Amino acid sequence: MKRVPAVAWTGLIWLVLLTMPYWMRAVGGYTELASRVLVLGLAAMSLNFLLGFTGVLSFGHAAYFGLGAYGAAMTIKYIAPSTPLGILVGVATGTLAAMVIGALIARLRGVYFAMVTIAFGQVFYFIAFRWNSVTGGDDGVTGWKRQALDLGLAKIDLLGNDKAFYYFILACFAIAVTLMWLLLRSPFGRTLLAIRENERRARFLGVPVERHIWLSFVISCCFVSLAGTLYALLNNFTDPRALRWDQSGNFVIMAVLGGMRSFWGPLIGAAIFVVLQDYVSSHTENWMSFIGLFFVLVVLFFPRGVLGILRRKGMA
Amino acid sequence: MATRMPKHGVNRRTLLKAAAATGALQVAGPFIIAARGEEPVKIGLDNPLTGTYAAVGKNELIGCQLALEQINAKGGILGRQAELLVEDSTSGDAGTAVQKARKLIERDKVNFLLGNVNSALALAMADVSSEKGVLHIVPGGHTDAVTGATCHWNVFRVCNTTQMEANAVTPTLIKNAGKKWYFITPDYAFGHTLQAGLEKAGGKAGYTKVGGDLTPLGTTDFSSYLIKAQAANPDVIIFLTQGDDMINALKQAVQFGLDKRFHLAGGQQELEALEGLPPEARIGTWVFEWYWNQPNVPHVKDFVDAIKKKTGRVPTARTWFGFASTWSCALAANEAKSLDAVKMAKALSGLKLPPEVSLMPDQAFYRVGQNQLIPNLFVGQAQAKGSAPDDLFKVTEVVKGTDAAGTLEETGCKMKWPV
Repeated sequence: MKRVPAVAWTGLIWLVLLTMPYWMRAVGGYTELASRVLVLGLAAMSLNFLLGFTGVLSFGHAAYFGLGAYGAAMTIKYIAPSTPLGILVGVATGTLAAMVIGALIARLRGVYFAMVTIAFGQVFYFIAFRWNSVTGGDDGVTGWKRQALDLGLAKIDLLGNDKAFYYFILACFAIAVTLMWLLLRSPFGRTLLAIRENERRARFLGVPVERHIWLSFVISCCFVSLAGTLYALLNNFTDPRALRWDQSGNFVIMAVLGGMRSFWGPLIGAAIFVVLQDYVSSHTENWMSFIGLFFVLVVLFFPRGVLGILRRKGMA
Repeated sequence: MATRMPKHGVNRRTLLKAAAATGALQVAGPFIIAARGEEPVKIGLDNPLTGTYAAVGKNELIGCQLALEQINAKGGILGRQAELLVEDSTSGDAGTAVQKARKLIERDKVNFLLGNVNSALALAMADVSSEKGVLHIVPGGHTDAVTGATCHWNVFRVCNTTQMEANAVTPTLIKNAGKKWYFITPDYAFGHTLQAGLEKAGGKAGYTKVGGDLTPLGTTDFSSYLIKAQAANPDVIIFLTQGDDMINALKQAVQFGLDKRFHLAGGQQELEALEGLPPEARIGTWVFEWYWNQPNVPHVKDFVDAIKKKTGRVPTARTWFGFASTWSCALAANEAKSLDAVKMAKALSGLKLPPEVSLMPDQAFYRVGQNQLIPNLFVGQAQAKGSAPDDLFKVTEVVKGTDAAGTLEETGCKMKWPV
């Protein structure tokens, strides 16, 4: 069998994403679920920019996801009721934090890098959790709503019309994913791959490895904080669980589940994770065991993730 | 010697596949949908079934199920059968709770939404239900804002506000335990408002606060807080933690021997927590929101027997919350003769629960302008041993809800109805 060309895969994925709200209900889903798949898929793909294409494992990405969420929520609640402004502030907050923290940890490797990212993640979690007067503590930031998008000529109702909001998320997703794709195809992206494959060799070739890892970390965190802002807008709500370590773990699970060597893998992983969680938890209260079992099976039998196995079948 | 798997034996893959298949069978159970002439009326419950609040969440579920059986036996809602759809909201993840609320409303098109035990999740769900205009009843999330500052026309609540609990228990607390208070408070909406409520009620009675600590939800080791409390030398250490946190805190306080030196007491107490405590730690003055041992109140015994038949245990306040919430849905629809949310909300506001649902000396009613149920509150002492194995609380005073509720202005609720 001939290998399915990558263009066909990409086209199929975009077709599915574009039509999703129209057939979700027929297969027992709902528009909100589709939006959730997109948002968490974006987060997992952003993490994979660092994990799959630079070869650095971060266990603290929820911190930047959560900073984006808090940035957007608090901007809309306290500063100005504007959805785009909320997104901008959220992304800027997450990216700034990543720039500072990235500079501190870019020299660390392997398990030490992962540990320190967890530690910094927990710092932000406890700030959000304990600083009641500002962040609302464990209750989160409530009492605000995503605002209609004012394009000058027309107003798009993002709050009442869930399909409109889905396509708004899809637009943000498309921009972010295209940027990541372009970056990965650029010389910069190729250098990241070189670092992943053999760091010492890249260093001997004169590549400033630390700076590249720092940049990759910041780019990855920038997109994950975009996902965070969208997540807050989706729920009209945010709380400290958005930046706790188990949320970071979920992102890693999604990336590994889908296949961290492929560009679209994490999106597939996120879709499986979200749909499985949604479906199984309606039928049994032990739903977490099933997700765990599924994850173990995938790691045991398809170490390259679900997309990896599809690719292998296609090539055979 | 090389030990290899025998070729014809069960190898690892087969075993794992078998395990996976068994697992899948658990989920893909048979979906039996009985043929029905008419679409049933749907009630969606979005409540914790896992985590810290799993036990209380399940008790609410049992109450809902009993009410549903009774409703269907009596002819259903507007002559149609009623159906309960249950979703696990988790104990603290608002993202999941909100997602499940939308799932119930958008996909399953429920006529009523019930939930949540966790106050913060109840607030988040109320935002969704009011956005969608679905009648929403909160069985057991206590924080004041649900029917206070952020009240909505479509959101009703069965359990008390924290301020009502504080108002009910404070006089007895001061009489039994003294005026110098030290607080151990869970660090989230419920704890903050319960402490604020007690401070407000205590202020009127001339209490002094000698200190307090905020403990994160899910704390297991309270020793550092207890040492600080001891050093402050209060008359009474007030425990406002709930669920497993209450059990851990009280158990450790008694292990430290603090019960010999101070009074240990608090605001809200639940049978679930007392059942989890060793006898020597079942002490102190508390308020219950419903208690099963009410010998002179009609219908209570029937309810207790029905729940005992279902589960083998006596109902708790949580069971009653679920029961009263589900019945409120049926009462609202049958009173309004419609499933239109606005009409049902209008019918429910001001409605008195019938005695077989109310199950307390004074009939509970939903207060107009706030949508808050005003029931009796049961103030008394926890006891090591009572008349029956499940009788762990001695009610010394039944407080009228109208005395504890304060005025409508004090709640901060400004109700806006849709035009």
